Amino acid sequence: MNRTCMWLLGYLGVALLGAPLGYAAEIQLPANQRFAAEKTSETPDFQRHVVPLLGRLGCNSRSCHGSFQGRGGLRLSLFGYDFKMDHSALTSKSSNGNQNRIDRDKPDQSLIIQKPSFQIDHEGGERFRVDSWEHHLFRRWIESGARGVDQPRELSHLEIEPSEVVFDRRSAPVQLKVIAVWNNDDREDVTPLCRFRTNNDAIVTVDDNGVLTSTGRGDTHVIAFYDNGVRAVPVMRPISSDGTPQQQEKSATTPIDRFILAKLDKLGITASKLCTDAEFLRRASIDITGTLPTPQEVDDFLSDNSPEKRTRKIEELLDRTAYAAWWANKLCDFTGCNPSQQAELGQETSVQWYMWIYARLQDNLPYDELVGRIVLSTSRGESQTYNDYARQMSSYFRDENPDDFSQRPTMPHYWTRRSMEEPEQAAQAFAHNFLGIRLQCAQCHKHPFAPWTQHDFQEFSRFFESIEFGVRPEERETYQQMARKVGLNVRGDNGSPIRNDVLRHAKEGRTIPWRELYISERTEPESLSLLRSGQVQLGPNNDPREPIMEWMTAPDNPWFARAFVNRVWAGYFHKGIIDPPDDLTPANPPSHPKLLDWLTSEFIHHDYDMRWLHREIVSSEAYQRSWNPSENNHHDRHNFSRMIPRRLPAEVVYDSIKQTLASDENLDEVRNDLTRRAIGHLSMRLAGTYAMQVFGKPDRAVNCDCERDNQPTLLQSVFLQNDPLVEQRLDNSDWLVEIAERESSNSTPVSTQELVRQAWMRALNRPPTNAETKRALKHIQTTGAVTEGLRDLLWALINTKEFVLIH
Amino acid sequence: MSMNHSRRHALKIGALGSSLCLSQFLRANAIQKQPDSERSAILVFLGGGPSHQDTFDLKPQAPAEYRGQFRPIQTAASGIQICEHLPKLAQRADQYALIRGISHSLADHGLGTRYLMTGNLPTPVVNYPMYGSVVSREFPSAEDVPSFVSIDRPVEGPGYLGAEYGPLSTGEKPRYGQPFRVRGITLDGTMTIDKYQSRTQLLQDLDSAFAGYEELDDSVRGFDRFSDQAYQIISSPRARNAFDLTLEADREVDRFGRHEFGQSMLLTTRLVEAGVRFVTVLLEGWDTHRDNFNTLGRDLLPNLDQSLSALFDRLREKGLIESTSVLVTGEFGRTPKVNKNSGRDHWARAMCSLMAGGDVEPGQVIGGTDNKAAGPIGDGFSPDDLAASFFANIGIDPQKEYEANVGRPITLIRNGSPITGLLR
Repeated sequence: MNRTCMWLLGYLGVALLGAPLGYAAEIQLPANQRFAAEKTSETPDFQRHVVPLLGRLGCNSRSCHGSFQGRGGLRLSLFGYDFKMDHSALTSKSSNGNQNRIDRDKPDQSLIIQKPSFQIDHEGGERFRVDSWEHHLFRRWIESGARGVDQPRELSHLEIEPSEVVFDRRSAPVQLKVIAVWNNDDREDVTPLCRFRTNNDAIVTVDDNGVLTSTGRGDTHVIAFYDNGVRAVPVMRPISSDGTPQQQEKSATTPIDRFILAKLDKLGITASKLCTDAEFLRRASIDITGTLPTPQEVDDFLSDNSPEKRTRKIEELLDRTAYAAWWANKLCDFTGCNPSQQAELGQETSVQWYMWIYARLQDNLPYDELVGRIVLSTSRGESQTYNDYARQMSSYFRDENPDDFSQRPTMPHYWTRRSMEEPEQAAQAFAHNFLGIRLQCAQCHKHPFAPWTQHDFQEFSRFFESIEFGVRPEERETYQQMARKVGLNVRGDNGSPIRNDVLRHAKEGRTIPWRELYISERTEPESLSLLRSGQVQLGPNNDPREPIMEWMTAPDNPWFARAFVNRVWAGYFHKGIIDPPDDLTPANPPSHPKLLDWLTSEFIHHDYDMRWLHREIVSSEAYQRSWNPSENNHHDRHNFSRMIPRRLPAEVVYDSIKQTLASDENLDEVRNDLTRRAIGHLSMRLAGTYAMQVFGKPDRAVNCDCERDNQPTLLQSVFLQNDPLVEQRLDNSDWLVEIAERESSNSTPVSTQELVRQAWMRALNRPPTNAETKRALKHIQTTGAVTEGLRDLLWALINTKEFVLIH
Repeated sequence: MSMNHSRRHALKIGALGSSLCLSQFLRANAIQKQPDSERSAILVFLGGGPSHQDTFDLKPQAPAEYRGQFRPIQTAASGIQICEHLPKLAQRADQYALIRGISHSLADHGLGTRYLMTGNLPTPVVNYPMYGSVVSREFPSAEDVPSFVSIDRPVEGPGYLGAEYGPLSTGEKPRYGQPFRVRGITLDGTMTIDKYQSRTQLLQDLDSAFAGYEELDDSVRGFDRFSDQAYQIISSPRARNAFDLTLEADREVDRFGRHEFGQSMLLTTRLVEAGVRFVTVLLEGWDTHRDNFNTLGRDLLPNLDQSLSALFDRLREKGLIESTSVLVTGEFGRTPKVNKNSGRDHWARAMCSLMAGGDVEPGQVIGGTDNKAAGPIGDGFSPDDLAASFFANIGIDPQKEYEANVGRPITLIRNGSPITGLLR
């Protein structure tokens, strides 16, 4: 791989995310003071004052003039930041053409003063009073010439005081103060020019002036927005009413728990106790391997008295192939592997994609390298001719002795799917897949909750322009010849997708013409910004993906490793440290920033070792807590003080029902033959089937982690209670057949009570209580045959919440 | 965003009502309509793309290779003509409206269907919800009947609204004289109501792991709620009877027709009568690349004519036509010129849909196509407009916003508005 062709001009860092408070320069007083008096000599600045004030007053919001249709004839850029458009809108004539929106000679006659101050009718009502500071500021801007901005100035960052707010029951409201720090080190108190938002109004409310009022116990953030700056302030009010400080941090057994317990101490929340061994085994088996433990495994684990048994079990689970199989599913979620979006042969290529990742997880290839082999992939190896390439691709499909796609060093399908054709779509998908950020808003307007502007989005999209999938101009002739030989009908120069009729030739061992992924020449060198944290020079022959990969894996990249660490965390808990896990914006801050920082830097430090990350998380007490609440953590949803029950993922429901009903003899095969498992090779074949849809397996058609839907629904209950698929599985249960055979052959009879115990061990992975056994036996007595009673029992167990939830 | 315009605004609605934009008007309107909670809707999806110029938009003056083999006939609505193979629907032309000149550019079954079923141009960034999912979210049905049923498979899904609003799919179509089973509802094989109830009794006693803490977590609470509802639907006579076509008199079965279309439509009306809010009924076979005229003339059109007419009659007899919105549409039209196989190929520039029930002003044609039925006269209507009209007729504001799972609010139908004159 050619990595020599890049010039990274160094990183600016992400200053907008935060910088230490400093007082290098004098801070300009807030605008509401400076413009309080009618007469002032100051000329308000369009970017620094006028547009933020329009935002603060709600003028450029979606329901008002920020709407794409405008309102009352006036349209402003949504959430500001298109200074040219806003300036020309404000300085043009009104839509009916009779009146100037601004009148430099008689500023008070300007529509943009008369309407919002409600001197004449305004659908948006009164936005400010006559003679208020807002009025003075707008008037002063108009009379001083109503100038716009040619080149927007760069905001360095926002500072907020206080940097954290802790309320108690009697606390008075708290005024926030927001300082804008510009790149030239100008500082201004912009509190009256900010928009504020609370992330949970049941804990704190914030008014337009930045005054916080405590409304309930718990913790959340208040966010301030100004220019393209976003800054969050943590706000909390402890839970415990008696005010005694908790001392749980001291008892932390792992680094993760230190961070979690420190925050629980601060909040006065008592953590739940550790879960039982049976709960742990079931939970960890499902979360690590997507597989229920066997009855034998449960017995062995429960009777093991070693204090190290959980640690050993974690290690054992991470070494199983099912770990690689289940987490390959998750990585396919994150990277968007979708049969219907593939360039050709959707089913086959998505299986190749899955298997390729599966093989890498089995080898525990470091995450950065795994991603590098996807991101930097090309169809052809460095010195491979087109003929060799076509032969190699065809060989993966040969019926006899096919080559193994997953042995390829790189995996090009990521780039060749149809949803990556447009650079803008590729940019959105890429940012979501590997950075956990949602750029889509910035395609049409300034991102309302992140610093991204349309310009940032456009520059980032331009990286993806030269990634091509088709036929290289110099190979057209070879391609056409090959196409004619196998009867592939080609329209245009860029080749055609392979369909089944042509694939037949490859199956029979012939070479068919494949399109390829390659980088086309840029017409001229250019300098592009990587989401404002690095400027890249691209020469005509540079692969634009190389500087991106370099940038992502630089240790100070704020998203790449963090997004993955957070997503893996979210796979083990009901939510991420940042949640939703694919929305890394400063307006959606982490619940435990130091924990996330630590996990991220240690993950990098451990060379992106994924097994290390899993082990670290599963070994924590936070992960091993009971779902049973403590005396005061009933309402805690995001501090990980107890395990919140989650539904089994779609694939796991499917496999678990099968496993529960399998005979003792077939049990190992049902679990370990990955070619027949929904979490394994069947993953892509089952995509879109009824059971998968009902239980929310994602289509991976859109850029959102939320596509995997784990909410319970009516149809899931209908499915579990009475779907023919479940009914057939119950009717054909090998285990029940085995029991029936043993009964009729009169060989060593197994007591019904033991069978009842087995049923529990199979479905719920724990022995039943005495009461449960009694109830089950009572039911079995009412049915004719033991197998009939057991069938009912298995049906009931599969329908319990305990079965379908991870708890 | 909170605007302090409430007082002024209220004044304006009275004094200057005409200056209200449509969305505000509909919102105000919807508020008055909400209490009418008995609304339901039917989508008859003619999958494959029915030929518009051989059904409801004939061009008898066009050259033979365009106009095809069918003749138009007069209908009960003056000035409206439709295909000769739709005589019953012609007699009932005063009960529905035809929308001609609907036009788009996605002549692919998958994309076209997605567009027509959601009213939003498909994109890889957002999964838009299908009509029925929106309706079942806005007007959930009673506990013992499902809100949204699809005969036989779902056509598009709940999209950003989430799996909770997906349809219950019957899994198969009812066929006359054969037992009809509904996936998940019918009790199969040796299963009886008694046995099912004894199982659920056992389940109730064993499902105690979260006893005392049921209210704590959404997933626990959700499963309890849905498990109960599933039990009610599976065991209640109301839902079971709705799906049981053997309860219909022979005369009624004959009225709808003993063919697949007829039986599916009969099931559709039974479901609406039982309180299901939205029924999608999939009538397939319209992708007539070859032998277009025989396929339509002998089979599809007579069956559609009979079953759709019976549906209208039955809804009227049951007094449900006022509260039930019906949309009949495919995903696109077909090529103006007949091809060498006597077929017509995909054509998205022009298509035709039918709407009835609710507030539809019946007995009219809105819009039109040029003399070869190749494109709309003027701008025509978009699938977005059609969707906005359908939603408005159901009583759902097409401008309504949902907090979608993509991190921003999404307008239900962003680029369309109800077709002027279609609704009363």
